[in-house]
Amino acid sequence: MSLATQHTFATYKKNNTIEEGDLVSKENVILIRIQADSEFCCKFGNYKHSDMIGLQYGTKLGSNTGRGFLFLLYPTPELWTLILPHRTQILYIADISLIMSFLDLKPGRVMIESGTGSGSFSHSIARTIAPGGHLFTFEYHQDRVAIATKEFEEHGLKDLVTIECRDVCKNGFGLENKADA
Amino acid sequence: MAALNPSDIINAGEHVFIKMPSDNVKCIVLKAGSSVSLGKFGTFKANDIIGHAWGNSYEIYDRDSKTRVYHPEGISEVEETANNNREIVDDPSSQKLTLDDIKALKSEGLKGELTGEEIVNKLKESHATFDKKTAYSQAKYLQKKGKKFHKVFTPIKPTAYSVNEYFYVKNPAKIRDIRMDTLSQLLSYSNVHSGCKLLVVDDTQGMIVSALAERMGGKGTILGLYDGDNPHYDIVKYMNFNQETLDTIKVLSWLRIHRPADEKTPDEMQDVTQLTGKDLEGYHRRLKAYNIVEESRKTLFEGNFDALIVASQYQPESILEKLLPYVAGSRPIIVYHGTKEALLETSTWMRKCPDLLAPQLTESWLRKSQVLPGRTHPEMSTWGTGGSLLTATKVIDQPVQAALTKRERLAMEKKNAEAKKLKRAREEAESAAPSPAPVVSAEDATNVAIEEEEVIMTTTITTTTSTSTIEPIDDDNESRSVKRVKQE
Repeated sequence: MSLATQHTFATYKKNNTIEEGDLVSKENVILIRIQADSEFCCKFGNYKHSDMIGLQYGTKLGSNTGRGFLFLLYPTPELWTLILPHRTQILYIADISLIMSFLDLKPGRVMIESGTGSGSFSHSIARTIAPGGHLFTFEYHQDRVAIATKEFEEHGLKDLVTIECRDVCKNGFGLENKADA
Repeated sequence: MAALNPSDIINAGEHVFIKMPSDNVKCIVLKAGSSVSLGKFGTFKANDIIGHAWGNSYEIYDRDSKTRVYHPEGISEVEETANNNREIVDDPSSQKLTLDDIKALKSEGLKGELTGEEIVNKLKESHATFDKKTAYSQAKYLQKKGKKFHKVFTPIKPTAYSVNEYFYVKNPAKIRDIRMDTLSQLLSYSNVHSGCKLLVVDDTQGMIVSALAERMGGKGTILGLYDGDNPHYDIVKYMNFNQETLDTIKVLSWLRIHRPADEKTPDEMQDVTQLTGKDLEGYHRRLKAYNIVEESRKTLFEGNFDALIVASQYQPESILEKLLPYVAGSRPIIVYHGTKEALLETSTWMRKCPDLLAPQLTESWLRKSQVLPGRTHPEMSTWGTGGSLLTATKVIDQPVQAALTKRERLAMEKKNAEAKKLKRAREEAESAAPSPAPVVSAEDATNVAIEEEEVIMTTTITTTTSTSTIEPIDDDNESRSVKRVKQE
């Protein structure tokens, strides 16, 4: 399986059709990566990934077994916040949105986040400051750093986010004159 | 990189908010070389702050209204004393200075002879019972007097947040009561980002369009549909947008979406070769206006918008019906209204609409708190509503052969099996003798079609039983999974 397309949470794809390698959210539950030979099984039925390829995002797809259907949605930071696996308590959309407005975040801003946690807020920030901005995020827990790094990479946010394992209360940020927020 | 943006410093000719010690905010256009009057707080020269970075407060001092950066005292812990209000009587004679004395002090302050702090100190010293007050009461007294006599002002940069706050306090009707928390949630749900294409119906005088344009950073398109002659996006001018950002905002009148009978195309306009001077200029002006409208029309008809945002005085369903076809799949639809009752009918309509997924009606609460050491608590007066949001996702509905109960599924499978058998029989007959086949297959086709329809209807009905309740936004339960209906 290859990440053939520039698929990222930060912006929509140009043609809005599902291609191999994309991430697709089933309504309310799962983020899946499309692979040509896979099948997706859940309580709403069986779905072949190959059936999904070529469909527009937002399509309602019926199951192979004739039981149930699902909606294929484009992954957004808001959906991710609702379905991500919690490693820590996360911020939800109400707080995330107010903080982003208060900090005057927009494309091109550079921001520092301390306490990456499970990366919920990080995804929203990355989407808002793209393109041209950058998020420096710090987390002092080794395992969480590893998981978050993997997620940022898989979600196409590697260029927008730099995560570092560091205790900022003790050791500072290691940055000078860089951030807007 | 955090390079210094032009918007990070105070520029001449831009809108600026000035916050005064009384917590009132005044909006001015900062003209270079002018003097800005703040009423009883004095006057300052615009040039003294042009070119400075945002974030400082300035104090007016001395006779010729010089300004200097004001460094407020840090908030320190207030030590509790044993004082109480047992012996304090609310008596105007506690303050030894007369009204005339105070007026004199005030005018001396305006002239620059005394600083605000000195005036407040004098008032404190001539207060007979000041020492009897509790420490908190003393601090509150000094703060209150400071609000009247300090000559300190703070320039505030207009952003979606500060502009919204300014209007929400000064004139909420203008922006249809949309408060910052609701507005920022609207921005999140819409997934607005650089380069996207948004369809907006904005009756909040442009508050929503301004916030969206700010988040798009000059790339992408906003198409605003408006009623009447003018979009009335008054608030856009307060944001000090650069031309690139302003160019992302396109507008189109509802009346002009399809060319009205009285609009002339360039070909129908007067013959160019025979025009001179003023007539020629007029022709070019009309041509330019026509081209702008044509381009907006083109943007609309191309469709594939990344979000639809409606904040209109009109019934939302009528607008949604017209505009939903232009929105791409898996994109958010957001309806804002000042009251949630107005959105109830729309949410019912949305639940029945096969092109919309999971409508959700929310209202947000925002509460201000006083934050001071030892005295942090919510403020005594609270804000009313900040408006409500109705959100849903546009989906592409398809006739789906799905049965959600066992009985339905078995019935469907049986019919499918029969159809297959007939088809196989037909194929065998075809390979033997081709002619009788068409008649038989036509019948089968009709049968199969009917079965599909039956199954589809069942599916649609069960979908709409998913609940969508009004819930405060601090809940995170948004279970919208399709529920199976047990039919017995």
